[in-house]
Amino acid sequence: MSSLVWLASYPKSGNTWFRLLAANLSAAEGPVDINDVPDRGGIASSRGEFEAMTLIESGLLTHEEADALRPRVYEALARAEPAEDGAGPRLVKAHDAYVTTPAGEPLLGGARAAILIVRDPRDVAPSLANHRRCSVDEAIDFMNSPKASFASTRRAQPQQLRQRLLDWSCHAASWLDQTDIPVRLVRYEDLTAAPVETLRGAMAFAGLAVSSGQAEQAVAYAAFDHLRSQEEARGFAEWRDKGDGRRFFRRGESGGWRRELTCEQVGRIEAAHRPMMQRLGYRMQDEESSVPQMTEGVFR
Amino acid sequence: MPLYRIAGLSVSTDLELPGFPAGPAGPADIVIARAPVAGALEDADSSGPTWAMKPGRFLLAVPGIARYLLRDGAAIDYQPEPDADPGDVAAFTMGAAFGVLLHQRGLVVLHASSVCVNGKAALFLGPSGAGKSTLAAALVRRGYPLVADDFCVLSIGGAGGPQVHPDGALPKLWLEAIEQLELTDRRLRAVRGRLSKFYVQPPQGTVSAPMPMGPAYVLREARAPNGPGIERPNIVDAAHLVRSNAYRPGVVRKMDQQALYFLVAAALGNADGVFHLTRELDFAAMDDVIDGLEAHWSVAKALETAS
Repeated sequence: MSSLVWLASYPKSGNTWFRLLAANLSAAEGPVDINDVPDRGGIASSRGEFEAMTLIESGLLTHEEADALRPRVYEALARAEPAEDGAGPRLVKAHDAYVTTPAGEPLLGGARAAILIVRDPRDVAPSLANHRRCSVDEAIDFMNSPKASFASTRRAQPQQLRQRLLDWSCHAASWLDQTDIPVRLVRYEDLTAAPVETLRGAMAFAGLAVSSGQAEQAVAYAAFDHLRSQEEARGFAEWRDKGDGRRFFRRGESGGWRRELTCEQVGRIEAAHRPMMQRLGYRMQDEESSVPQMTEGVFR
Repeated sequence: MPLYRIAGLSVSTDLELPGFPAGPAGPADIVIARAPVAGALEDADSSGPTWAMKPGRFLLAVPGIARYLLRDGAAIDYQPEPDADPGDVAAFTMGAAFGVLLHQRGLVVLHASSVCVNGKAALFLGPSGAGKSTLAAALVRRGYPLVADDFCVLSIGGAGGPQVHPDGALPKLWLEAIEQLELTDRRLRAVRGRLSKFYVQPPQGTVSAPMPMGPAYVLREARAPNGPGIERPNIVDAAHLVRSNAYRPGVVRKMDQQALYFLVAAALGNADGVFHLTRELDFAAMDDVIDGLEAHWSVAKALETAS
């Protein structure tokens, strides 16, 4: 069996935070440097991995041709990463929705399982606006678009392979409703409210038993304030600092949308994503009287 | 069959290879020809999703385009897939099979573009998408003759220090780069019909003769904690950088040729050096990047003259 586990999420939903939590589980000498994370994970849409596996210049391929080969790449990656006792999973980040290739096979084949991290779309929107350096309304347009994708230009060679995201609801549904591999749902809000338990549960699902002491250490080392101060001090390699004061680690909170979004913006998100929000336990603005309940396990 | 001169080798092929320089008549070092290619390689001792290898044989499949059998570093048999466009077959022959054949031949092949500076080849190393072609094209616009677009073969041990045998290829640029570098009137045919990536005609043509090795710059995007600039890594890191910028580092590993790259890295270190060139991936920063390189070259030249 392979140790390959997708760490899947819509962008700005806590994927990087989870990866840093996982990397801090076994940090022996203080918090890991956010610019030197000792993991072997990588991202599914990496051109480097694709070319190392296929030996084909990816810049000569159309997005569709690259997609057709991606399942072969992940199968090879999975074969190269057999599960070993105590070694833990290889968590590979993926923002792609669980889509199919032109030949109709799952794009992200090969992995043993997936952890899907979701976050209240009303909190995703302002974070995505910061990340894309666009307005919140444009971020909401993106989240509502069934054709949303990253690295999809055909006029230049993006650094990563094209990633089809679909709209926010369809992204979550694509992962939750596929039946190829087991999926563990992790809500950003639960990771915030009950980080030790949520992290231990997710890692156990991925094949690594984590003691509460390890989880507590990881939660302390990857606390938002620490990540933020590391970014302030030395920057963050996964973020293009354009000198405009924008940061990758922005707020790291749940429910900030109540201050950051207008009523109309909240309305647009809820109108577009109400069924999936309800399925994931996010209350609509008009039915809010209490905080979301802690949830456990897989939503099917 | 037409002859080309690529990376110091004479290549005979029944394919038209747009963008590569014609070579003089004479015996061919490498023959690329259409021939039946089996779908699998028997007794392969290593394989991946699109390839399999054993000593002297390397099978590479580009789905929808062609299967290639690379033999003894001297021949590429190709069998096009049904309905494959001949231009596409040629593009992947040079964008996948040929570089692996050079590795099979036991040569040191770096993934690098190159321009001629002060009579030497300055190399820009990096994986696909690092900006090799764009930087070389911008330098060509400043008057530096183009030497290589995608790969260079290095030889050491001769009298004149390390020598570069460039691909001599025309630059291949995406539409966005062509527009940003104002090269629209130099745009030639598309690399593939379905891509917005084109060959571009440099004003001074390209150089395909071997030339002495100049400085090697490993391209890196300015991301924290690495700010823009040119710096020299220590000798251990430099050796690692050279090896990891082989045309196909995984193939070098599988063919057990890493030691070759350490030797080359050491030779480069003793010659004009291996550097990190860290810069913003933004066309607006290109002039600053080139100014930085020219300053680096003028200092190097002054030191050379003084010594």
